[in-house]
Amino acid sequence: MSTNKPMPVPTEISAPFWDGLKAGRLNLQRCNSCGHWIFFPRRHCDKCWSHDVEWREVAGTGTLYTYTLTRIPTLPDFADEMPQKMAVVELDEGVRINTTLVGLDEDEIRVGMRVKPVFDKVKPDGTTLLRFTGLDKTVAPRRFDDPEAAAAPEEAAVPLRQIPVGDEAALQALVSDEFTSWSNQIVVDQALIDEFARLSGDDYWIHTDPEKARKQGPFGGTIAHGALVQVLQSRLKIPLGFEVIGFSNMVNYGSDRLRFPSPVPAGARIHARARVKRVEKVRSGTQLTLEVNIHVVGAERPSVINDLVILYM
Amino acid sequence: MGLKGNAAIVGAAQYRPEKYTTAPRMFHLEQVADLAAQALADAGLKATDIDGLVINGPQFHEASVFVPAMAAEYLGLSVNFAEVVDLGGCTSVGMVWRAAAAIELGLCQAVLCVLPARMAPFGPDEDPSWMARAMRFGGHSTAFGAPEAEFDLPYGHMGQNTGYAMIAQRYAAQYGYDPLAMAKIAVDQRTNALANPDAMFFGKPLTADEVLASKMVADPLHVLEIVMPVAGGAAVIVASPEVAAKARNRGARITGFGEHLAFKSPTYAADMTRTPIGPAAARAFAMAGLKPADMDAAQIYDCYTITVLLTLEDAGFAPKGEGMRWVREHDLTWRGDFPMNTHGGQLSFGQSGSAGGMSQVIEAFTQIAGKAGDRQLKRCDTVFVSGTGGVMSEQGALILQGA
Repeated sequence: MSTNKPMPVPTEISAPFWDGLKAGRLNLQRCNSCGHWIFFPRRHCDKCWSHDVEWREVAGTGTLYTYTLTRIPTLPDFADEMPQKMAVVELDEGVRINTTLVGLDEDEIRVGMRVKPVFDKVKPDGTTLLRFTGLDKTVAPRRFDDPEAAAAPEEAAVPLRQIPVGDEAALQALVSDEFTSWSNQIVVDQALIDEFARLSGDDYWIHTDPEKARKQGPFGGTIAHGALVQVLQSRLKIPLGFEVIGFSNMVNYGSDRLRFPSPVPAGARIHARARVKRVEKVRSGTQLTLEVNIHVVGAERPSVINDLVILYM
Repeated sequence: MGLKGNAAIVGAAQYRPEKYTTAPRMFHLEQVADLAAQALADAGLKATDIDGLVINGPQFHEASVFVPAMAAEYLGLSVNFAEVVDLGGCTSVGMVWRAAAAIELGLCQAVLCVLPARMAPFGPDEDPSWMARAMRFGGHSTAFGAPEAEFDLPYGHMGQNTGYAMIAQRYAAQYGYDPLAMAKIAVDQRTNALANPDAMFFGKPLTADEVLASKMVADPLHVLEIVMPVAGGAAVIVASPEVAAKARNRGARITGFGEHLAFKSPTYAADMTRTPIGPAAARAFAMAGLKPADMDAAQIYDCYTITVLLTLEDAGFAPKGEGMRWVREHDLTWRGDFPMNTHGGQLSFGQSGSAGGMSQVIEAFTQIAGKAGDRQLKRCDTVFVSGTGGVMSEQGALILQGA
């Protein structure tokens, strides 16, 4: 998950709530004067204004009051959750909570369904968010030991169709508006970005200074260099389904178009897909233009568009 | 209790909605002076007639505090009443009734209500990324201790789309949902915009099929059911009967108003589908001694189609839970039996920040003054206007009647 997502900063008032979540418990305040349950945490009862309020542990079961599924992320950093299952849960104590649903398919979600809490540890430091799922569901906790292991498993290798470079008709038939399915996913973390900054000499703070980028940058944190994401294509195995054979030399001839339409926040997962855009005979051989699009997982807008020109001689 | 209906809107001005990228950059103070002069010219009044000022505080470019004093100084205006209104999309409605109340209290004679909403020029040392940073969390506070920073933003609850979508989903579960009726709201308003050369979508017809085929943003809201943010700005002059007598337009008297708010996130509403416009509109109608059926037109704040639907129901135009059937049975165009958002609404006119709501106030005034051109209603003496801020958080209503 992206490291740029906004995170809760507990206050002296709310600490018992967040500490409870870390320990897998849901603590709510109850007013001793009028019996009203209170959410979000306050110094007073928002019904009778008494200051005699007390923390109590509750079961956390409730009912789904309403929800929506997002088709555009509410912030680019949430692209890995698409569609975001935004929800309002009404606890059995009567309070409503803004949250998200996990472990439920889109068609399993109904207003009025019963839900139970999921204590979702989202950062290695123990920061825990309160999400909800169906009563019959089990949601496995996140793993922080190996980001690559958390990535989606690689697709089974697509068998390769071999096309001789001289078979012009077969090569032309590859041209399509349709993209391939997605490649494997990789995580673009701060360590990788720092390495690239050192290598390229581009150590602009928006890439390398998480603290300054969080406070002053437009994206709430650091982002990867466009050029880094571009070259990471080599680590993304795009299931093209064909290979060209029978040439004596193959060169990467450069790019007809290179665009970085949206940022890749540090910590984001990316994947790629491609389509054959053009095949043409040129003086020195056969030129194949492959449009490669690299996206943050779940994001509709690509982060890199690269019309890669491959020359077969 | 309430207004006697002495104060009236007598002049108005607004910038044609434009894309932010092509609109002129002007300092907000400069826009204030420009819009004020245009509104005065429209009213046929002089600068010396103005002795009250209502202005936006938030999002004012050149200052975040002491905005009225800075603006009065810049204008060369000496006022007996100065006010800042911070009610999001309900700001315009809130400005007009505050001005009317100040006039009826005898504090002042004529009040300039002004909302600059074009972008200001960037200074040499200004980092343009502040815009992107300001946009990142929209109208949400990220300050330490702000409840939404702690309990909403970490879950991705931000911006307006998902809040309105969740209200619509709750409505659907309680009362049922007809996507075609919702599309009809956008389509009827577009028909109105086709008769308004100033509208952003003038000359661009729209069908219900196109609305329903447009991109889903957050279920069940399609992109064509959501306003387009544009650059703009607006001003109105509210005047006492003595000043109004000198003005050249037929005035729109403010005979009723109401305002209601109780939360920022509708999650904490007692009932998400019973919106604050209910009590606000009830108070406005009672103050004016009128009922919904007495209105010749309604200018209803329309950041989303669902906002319109719930306002129609909760303000008392349509029975609760039957708004979609009601929309199907009425023609909401300027030619129809229930003329609504006759300028196109913000959905088709464009939403210029918090000045967007002023487009509804100005359209009501323009219709009452008989200056609406091709879309002029045959009879327009009494108009209902609503304003909505945040996610159905703050809402207000005005009843305007021709002088």
